[in-house]
Amino acid sequence: MARIELADIQKKFGLVWGVRDVNIDIADEEFIVFLGPSGCGKTTTMRMIAGLEEPTEGEIRMDGEVMNDIDARDRDVAMVFQGYALYPNMTIYENIRFPLRMRGVPRAEQDALVRQAAGLVELTDYLDRKPQALSGGQRQRAALARAIVRQPQVFLMDEPLSNLDAKLRQAMRVQIKHIQRQLRITTVYVTHDQIEAMTLADRIVIMQSGAVQQIGTPDQIYNDPANTFVAGFIGAPPMNLIAGRLADGTFTAPGLRVTGLPERRGGKVTLGIRPEDCHVTVGADHLQGIVFGVEPTGETTYLTVKAGEKLVEVKADRDFRADLDTPVAVGFDTTRLYLFDTASGDRLR
Amino acid sequence: MGETSLSGTGAARSAPARPATSRLRRRPRWLKTAFPYLLVAPAVIYLMLITLYPGIYAIIQSFYAVKFGPWQPVGFANYVRLWGDYQFWGALWNTLVIGSIALTLQCVLALLLAFFAYRDPWVRGWRIVFLLPMLFMPSAVAFIFKLSFLDARVVSDLLIRVGLIDGNLAIQSSVWMSRGLLILADVWQWTPFLFIIFVAALQGQDEEVEEAARLDGASWPAIFWNISLPMMKPVIAVALILRGIDITTMFTNVFIITKGGPAFGTETISYFIYRTGFRFFDFGYASAASVIMLILTILIAQFVVKRAFVSARS
Amino acid sequence: MASMRKKSRGDNLVLRYAILGAWALVCLLPVLWFLSIGLRPRTEIITPQPIYWPTFSLDAWHMIWSDWPMARYLRNSVLAIIGSVLIDLVLAIPAAYSLSRYTYRGRDDIGFYILSTRMMAPAIVAIPIFFLFRNAGLLDTIWALMLIYAAINLSFVTWIIRSYMLDIPKELEDAARTDGASDLRILWEIIIPAILPGIITASVIAMIFAINEFLFTLLIASTSQAYTMSVALANFTGGSDGVIYNAIALVAFLAFVPVFIVVVAIQKHLSRGLTMGAVKG
Repeated sequence: MARIELADIQKKFGLVWGVRDVNIDIADEEFIVFLGPSGCGKTTTMRMIAGLEEPTEGEIRMDGEVMNDIDARDRDVAMVFQGYALYPNMTIYENIRFPLRMRGVPRAEQDALVRQAAGLVELTDYLDRKPQALSGGQRQRAALARAIVRQPQVFLMDEPLSNLDAKLRQAMRVQIKHIQRQLRITTVYVTHDQIEAMTLADRIVIMQSGAVQQIGTPDQIYNDPANTFVAGFIGAPPMNLIAGRLADGTFTAPGLRVTGLPERRGGKVTLGIRPEDCHVTVGADHLQGIVFGVEPTGETTYLTVKAGEKLVEVKADRDFRADLDTPVAVGFDTTRLYLFDTASGDRLR
Repeated sequence: MGETSLSGTGAARSAPARPATSRLRRRPRWLKTAFPYLLVAPAVIYLMLITLYPGIYAIIQSFYAVKFGPWQPVGFANYVRLWGDYQFWGALWNTLVIGSIALTLQCVLALLLAFFAYRDPWVRGWRIVFLLPMLFMPSAVAFIFKLSFLDARVVSDLLIRVGLIDGNLAIQSSVWMSRGLLILADVWQWTPFLFIIFVAALQGQDEEVEEAARLDGASWPAIFWNISLPMMKPVIAVALILRGIDITTMFTNVFIITKGGPAFGTETISYFIYRTGFRFFDFGYASAASVIMLILTILIAQFVVKRAFVSARS
Repeated sequence: MASMRKKSRGDNLVLRYAILGAWALVCLLPVLWFLSIGLRPRTEIITPQPIYWPTFSLDAWHMIWSDWPMARYLRNSVLAIIGSVLIDLVLAIPAAYSLSRYTYRGRDDIGFYILSTRMMAPAIVAIPIFFLFRNAGLLDTIWALMLIYAAINLSFVTWIIRSYMLDIPKELEDAARTDGASDLRILWEIIIPAILPGIITASVIAMIFAINEFLFTLLIASTSQAYTMSVALANFTGGSDGVIYNAIALVAFLAFVPVFIVVVAIQKHLSRGLTMGAVKG
């Protein structure tokens, strides 16, 4: 359907950088997720693809054609919004039909297309209602139907699930991915929720302060983070990042000592370790500290250990319990350690 | 058919919603830039015809003597005459005195009523009753005030019956009583305007803040004074400005009730211009007064109104 | 101390109802007085001693319909007012759309200029407008009244509608744009239906101001051809008999009834309308 290229995209709002130096090549039929905290520029990037914002510099191409000065209404993209943006004065049926009407689809064909799209999201019984009479999940599906009804070149979804409760969100995630695979339409999806990103994406683009931090498959992003920002953003609870010093293959920080690290440029280094790669041990080990908190989730127990001033998150056995302030020792899976340069945050390889 | 044509790849690709060949439309850039101006232009042009054109016309006319015959250029003579005209200064003074007293009174009254009404279970009922005076034509209200206070002396009669005064009130021969009558008419008719706005502003305030203050042990008057009132400041400013504009341009009541008397003691600036222009047909002179008033209006608009509306919006 | 007043909700109910009740009387009694004047014979209006319980009489009713061309005044008022509101809407809706939905150089200044025309005293522009209409041959026509009422209310109407438009989420417009709608289509199909309450509020308030307008009407409508209700009132002087108060009171009451009905219908939006959108009711 459509391949999207973003070449050296810059966006300035007055004097403030919204987006800088974005270069992404989105393949046809790919499901790509822009992930980052609020204000990182991910939504702005998507709006530039939609044609709702103009890049200050750079080119947006679809299937090789430069789209910069094409109006949103002339680009063949459909967008799903965080607030659903259903037209309040129209019924669901009229909402879904609106894009067909605007694009001059013959009247005779409109009805069948609307009903197909509504069927795909299981809204057939609600077509006569106004948006106000629908639940959050139903509105979400109506917005989805309005986007798919005209079979666009590109789907754009701006945090479409963030107004739903957790259970519904999980169900809709599956729906969205299923529909995308079925229709095989290039999809750009913006979210701040890493679970959504990991579960939906073919590739994830992680952004911060308007700049791309890393582009990769969910596995690459999780197992091979490019810098401390990506490492700390992905994973729940996120990776522990402990600042310390590296010298002669030994990393030291208050309460912490890891030896046998490959010989490398020493100095100020940050060590990263995921909670699931830590384990509570008896006697001395990599980390010595005291119990700061214990959080049983049922499936497992998270233990927070205080070492020096630093709090370290550890995934313990599901029946691990301990009193506050009792000393504990924690061992690391040393094959899964990451080292970062403290100053720049970049990964040391 | 059903879902298959959307999901099946072949059918989906030939769906009619897709433009057959992607000939992309490029729209002219100038149109995009000019579009918002084009939308706002008719309204602006219309208003200019009705404000800018008369403004310029008045400025030009103010340098001429226009009395029945052809226009005679007189330079600044009209302005010099205004400077020495005690009736003009008197009109400015009267406008200020009547306006500020009436505005203060109705603001205090409206605040007091709003304070008691906004938490009342029957607030909707109070609102409708209090609204009534505002819904009558001001000219009719003026006539009824004239009848009740002057022509039929109903108010005098009532006051005598209650025993507050001995003889009839000679309102028409007292400057201050005449001013008081204009003030009273304005307060009666327009306190509702402020009341409606203040009640809405109070009802719109975050209840949690008030509840927190109550838990902290504050009484309702204390909450009103320390929390509600400061939060309402921008709203009060906007409401008073809108009311202030109408009061300082007061014409109808003067025209009907007092005709500016006694001894020009209730002549407002609007009435001064009307009398000079349309009773004495001294249009050049009246235009000079209009220009002075226009300048005052622009100054007030720039420095007071702009700020009030900006702060109320944020 | 706090425990002793736990039931009083902090304020004094007696005081509250005394004050609200007193003001309710201040509002209601003159209105009843009004009505009693409209329904009494002329001989009982101005008397040595005011008459508080007059004889019921429909003198005024017969007088306004038979002695005066009241039907024409009414028609003039209605035509001029409805026409002016239509002019206002046609001009104000696009202007408000432009002011609320686009960013461009000079937008705020244009918006403030429109607002500031509301501050202009009618007396300032009265003389030039008078000559303008006289030269255009529009004096004593309802067209002149229509144009003037429209001008007086345009800033109000624009600002009220603008305020309602600002409340419509930007997303809605973005959605329509990606769905393929042009700017004017968005205005027509999405924005206008969504702000219908605002448009109605603005129209009602514009109507009331137009009914109330006095100075211009007095100047422009100098013969009974173009008299509206409001100015006809000022001329109910019946020559040597002085002001015919019962007719005035009755006409004012007849004009009051429809105004009251529409105002109660839009009560929720009234405060927002009256402050040109500065207060969200």
